[in-house]
Amino acid sequence: MSWRTIDRRTAAEQDLGPGLNDAVKEKIRSFFPRYPTKRAVLLPALHIAQDALGYISLRAMRELAELLELPPSAVLDVVTFYTHFWTHSRGRKTIVLCRSLTCELMGGGRVREGLEQRLGIGEHETTPDGQWSYMTEECLAACEHAPCLLINEKLHKGVQAEDLDRILVDPENDHLDMPRSTLFDAPAETKP
Amino acid sequence: MPKIIIDGHTIECRSGIPVLQAALEAGLAVPHYCYHPGLSVVASCRLCLMEMKMPNPKTGQMDWAPKLFPSCQTPVRDGLEVRFRSDPVRENQQHVMEYYLLNHPLDCPVCDKAGECYLQDYTEANGPATSRMVEDKTKNPKKDIGPHTLLYQDRCVLCSRCVRFCDEIAGTGELAVVGRGSRCEIDVLPGQPLENPLQGNVVDLCPVGALLDKGFLFKQRVWLLRSARSVSPADSRGQTIWIDYNEAGIHRIRPRYNEKINEWWISDEARFGWKHVHRPDRLRQPRIRQGVALQPARWEELPGLLRAPFAGVAACASPAGPGGGARLAQPPSLLGRGQGEGQGIGPLAAVLSPMLTCEEAWLLAKLARSLAPQATLVLGHVPVSGHDQTYPNGFTIKAEKCPNRRGVETILQHLGGPTASFQEFLAQAVEGRFRAAYVTGGYPDAWVTDPVAAALARIPFLVVHDLFPSALDGAAAVQIPGAAWTEREGTFMNCDGLLQPFERALPPLEGVKADGQFFYELLGQPGLFRAQTVRETMAAELPQFSEVFIPRDLPKRAH
Repeated sequence: MSWRTIDRRTAAEQDLGPGLNDAVKEKIRSFFPRYPTKRAVLLPALHIAQDALGYISLRAMRELAELLELPPSAVLDVVTFYTHFWTHSRGRKTIVLCRSLTCELMGGGRVREGLEQRLGIGEHETTPDGQWSYMTEECLAACEHAPCLLINEKLHKGVQAEDLDRILVDPENDHLDMPRSTLFDAPAETKP
Repeated sequence: MPKIIIDGHTIECRSGIPVLQAALEAGLAVPHYCYHPGLSVVASCRLCLMEMKMPNPKTGQMDWAPKLFPSCQTPVRDGLEVRFRSDPVRENQQHVMEYYLLNHPLDCPVCDKAGECYLQDYTEANGPATSRMVEDKTKNPKKDIGPHTLLYQDRCVLCSRCVRFCDEIAGTGELAVVGRGSRCEIDVLPGQPLENPLQGNVVDLCPVGALLDKGFLFKQRVWLLRSARSVSPADSRGQTIWIDYNEAGIHRIRPRYNEKINEWWISDEARFGWKHVHRPDRLRQPRIRQGVALQPARWEELPGLLRAPFAGVAACASPAGPGGGARLAQPPSLLGRGQGEGQGIGPLAAVLSPMLTCEEAWLLAKLARSLAPQATLVLGHVPVSGHDQTYPNGFTIKAEKCPNRRGVETILQHLGGPTASFQEFLAQAVEGRFRAAYVTGGYPDAWVTDPVAAALARIPFLVVHDLFPSALDGAAAVQIPGAAWTEREGTFMNCDGLLQPFERALPPLEGVKADGQFFYELLGQPGLFRAQTVRETMAAELPQFSEVFIPRDLPKRAH
């Protein structure tokens, strides 16, 4: 048994983090006609919020709950279910490394060690200059290019430990060749 | 009624219930964590799996299906055949129990739930007592999730009953399952604690010692407690409760299943509404006014002391006996003021508190009327707070915070004669119409406001029968200590007219006499007050009191 007790009854003002601005809220509202219930808008709303803030702050969770008429804990429930959503602030670029079998067999372990050594941070941590955060994920669905990693939304295939220096200094390392889906940026007009 | 066959025995069961419920009602010890008849079915604990006969898709014949089915999720249908006492079922239970013990700390000696914990029970009955796992157990910290509740996360088996309760019954949804897979935890959003008016139920719902009540924490081992069937006086709905007590007093209150009122739940008001019973400032002995001060008196002298002045006032009211009031403890000069005789209002009043049981109210009313046929019977102060609150599943917390207004009203209606509401009584008292009054209180909170005290101070011979000292002490000629409802037996009639009996849990405080027993003696009745005997006498006149409602017991193995 653990002897430590953590306080969940109170949240200090500075721990609430940033809130959503009106433009973000308006964007979330524009998704309402697409779904049968407001609850169903939660996932796109979380994507929008994370795009805007970089992570889902406690204040954002409360605001989302209010917006979608849900108990705030229901938002927390969904946020923590998906590893994609961060509940604390992160760096400008996030590296997501695969920790699954194929990548591990193809040298993923060495990539991870190299990365942790170069960045000097552990999983879910951020470098002091606010540039990099890093996390591992069960699978990036690119086993044929193992070992692979994501920098923000760009997939780097067949990465070996030796390639890390080159990738990390490349200013274009998170540049997407293909334009990003407009799904979350411009919701299509739907009939009421 | 459908019939199902469990292990070759045909069982008749209610229709529309799951097989698990039918098996429990038939007395089978089916282990289960996540299933609760009052909540939605999630079939996540996998402990209640049974073998079932299904049509074989190849032959079309009814055949034992190769895999096990959750009996909590399978509704009964006529002719359904299931096997519970079989090797695959037993094996499954062992595997699942071993899984539950993987990360569960073996801290039963310091766990409040020990003794009524279903992880203990099921491990003893079904599972291996030792774990094959040699790795370190997950040790997550405890969480302070609400003003009354503590969550020991490492003991949690993630049955999600508490989460479903908050979503479905309370409708407030403070709790959530956070994380995924083996990292799952129960939690609240920081800053949004568990504090709905029904939250205490999650502690009862928890099958293990994960959710604990801070007030009960480390206070008692459950096997040292006895339970009394009681009815909560917290509101007028009459929620049925168990009072868990021992020699040291009451330790907690749990819901007692009641299909007509509170089902499996109780409000926090009912749950924590016993603290006043042990307040140190309770009145502990009768006192009578001698000179300016109230002096201790013996119980034995009270009947004589009270009957004489009351009878005197009554006699004074009738033309035959003027001057009877000279025997009063108050200066006779005050006695000439009774104005009520001409309007049919007696100078004697009995205030029947809605905290009294029906039997006590009856005895007191009879006493007053036997002393003075024109005695005014008054329904005491009815405390009301806010509005009725109704929750999504229909659970209601009444604004009226007393258990027996309806019972007292029924008695007053039956007895007829001069009656008054508390407000009318106060107004008449201010006018000086009463020469003597017997006022009963028994409220858990202070109820004597300044206007009440001022009005009652106008009554020359005031008898106050209450739990605590109050502003009436200065005006009372006689002060009688009352017994709390836990120290009495009787019936409460709830706001819908349902008559529910309750047992005594504790003996009255030392030096205190149970209200019913005292009224019994005042009436000159021999022997001991027994609520049921009194109720039978009442029923002869008032058919409403001939039948009491006793909720049915839950199946022994259900929780």
